[in-house]
Amino acid sequence: MSYTFYPGCSLDGTAKDFHRSTLAVAAKLGLELPEIEDWICCGSTAAHSSDPLLADALPAQNLRAAGGRTVAVACASCYSRLKMANHHIAGDPSVRAEVARVVGEDYDGLTPVRHLLEILGQDMQREVAAAIRRPLAGLRVACYYGCLLSRPPEVTQFDDAENPTLMDKLLETAGATPVDWPHKTECCGASFSISDSSIVLELSERILSMAQAAQVDCIVTACPLCQLNLDMRQEDVEVKYGRRYDLPVFYFTQLLGLAMGCSASELSLGSLVVEPKVLLESKGLSMAGARA
Amino acid sequence: MNPVTLEIQEIGGSLACEIKTLSGASPMSCYQCTKCSSGCPVAGRGDLKPHELVRLVHMNQRHAVLTSRFIWECTSCHTCVTRCPQKVDIAAMNDTLRALSLSEGLAAADIAAPVFNEVFLRSVRKRGRVHELGLMAAFKLRTRRFLEDLDKAPMMLKKGKLPLRGARVGGRSEREKLFRRAAHGGEP
Ligand code: SF4
Ligand code: SF4
Repeated sequence: MSYTFYPGCSLDGTAKDFHRSTLAVAAKLGLELPEIEDWICCGSTAAHSSDPLLADALPAQNLRAAGGRTVAVACASCYSRLKMANHHIAGDPSVRAEVARVVGEDYDGLTPVRHLLEILGQDMQREVAAAIRRPLAGLRVACYYGCLLSRPPEVTQFDDAENPTLMDKLLETAGATPVDWPHKTECCGASFSISDSSIVLELSERILSMAQAAQVDCIVTACPLCQLNLDMRQEDVEVKYGRRYDLPVFYFTQLLGLAMGCSASELSLGSLVVEPKVLLESKGLSMAGARA
Repeated sequence: MNPVTLEIQEIGGSLACEIKTLSGASPMSCYQCTKCSSGCPVAGRGDLKPHELVRLVHMNQRHAVLTSRFIWECTSCHTCVTRCPQKVDIAAMNDTLRALSLSEGLAAADIAAPVFNEVFLRSVRKRGRVHELGLMAAFKLRTRRFLEDLDKAPMMLKKGKLPLRGARVGGRSEREKLFRRAAHGGEP
């Protein structure tokens, strides 16, 4: 199978591990992900908080370049922005005309956009099941979806807005034990990581504490912002709120990849800030060859 | 919950219409059920809760709305509009209110999000993509927050999370035009 891939800026930097593990899993599945040529940033939060027209134009330029082929997205923030632009452009001829004037070319808002969770969990369910080599037996996981995948539901049409289960099912297929917990779609503070980290610490504390109360071994994410906030800022949360979590925060592609027999280095497990070594070894999964 | 006292400072009804035109959200559909505030992750920390913001809009309290911290602390998580029985899009309202607050010079000086947005978009305009290390450095220079997160950059470099060189995409002059047209509502 082949989808046109829109990696987005995070996957070239802070979420390089998401990128590498995505490609490793795709290789195991025979999934081809050629990138949109010369893709540019979707504008993310910065664009929609300051210039609504730019916030639709940047995604439109990328989606146009995909030439009508289905676009695969890994970053939940990019996914949300591309879907939102499609929603605005396809739903309102005056927005379509305005965006066409900005981009310099017409775009109909109809290029399909799919998140990797939808591709692996819906389009390629059977292939994923057939590729599992080392089931993640005994690993209790909290699947954390964050805000951007499932909301607003009219726009993203992703799974169930209040209780999504796509990631849970994938992890179950990989042999892990996803738990039922109430903070699947709470917000982590997202892009405030740099501009006002006090928001991120407050919101992430709730998520980490709830995952701990659910007695999980780790948290699994599908978004570079969620992963960064819960992983890199975990120690800051511990210091500020006087708690101790020691909860590794994986990308779902890293755990799927482990179950498919990819090496720790192919999955960039060494990039995780909260070290997963002790946990994985206790479950009989090797970290040998991990590198950042 | 503490009772809230809203001080009426202005009389009239233009703010709701303005918001509707600019954001597409319909604040006048709100019947104050407070469901938005029950789920809002920042309702407890801001000077306003989402339903209070909407109420101030009903009462045309332009100054109170545009000077509030709440519009800047909103994380755009869309929990409010997803659960609102009247589909009042408070997330979209906040986007519009932030832009109005900035253009009218009413945002508090210590709110850093506008600076972040500005350096972010400048990076996109120049390179086509965001270079995170450059973005963090530019943000720190502008806000003089040199001591915050000092430990983060070296750790991220070690973990391979911050490449020193960022990618650049060609077509800079075309992109320059795109940004300029967007700022002028589609006109060149
Ligand atoms: S949930 Fe909707 S109707 Fe209820 S108070 Fe909030 S905005 Fe108003
Ligand atoms: S979008 Fe903003 S106002 Fe709405 S629930 Fe999220 S943080 Fe609160």
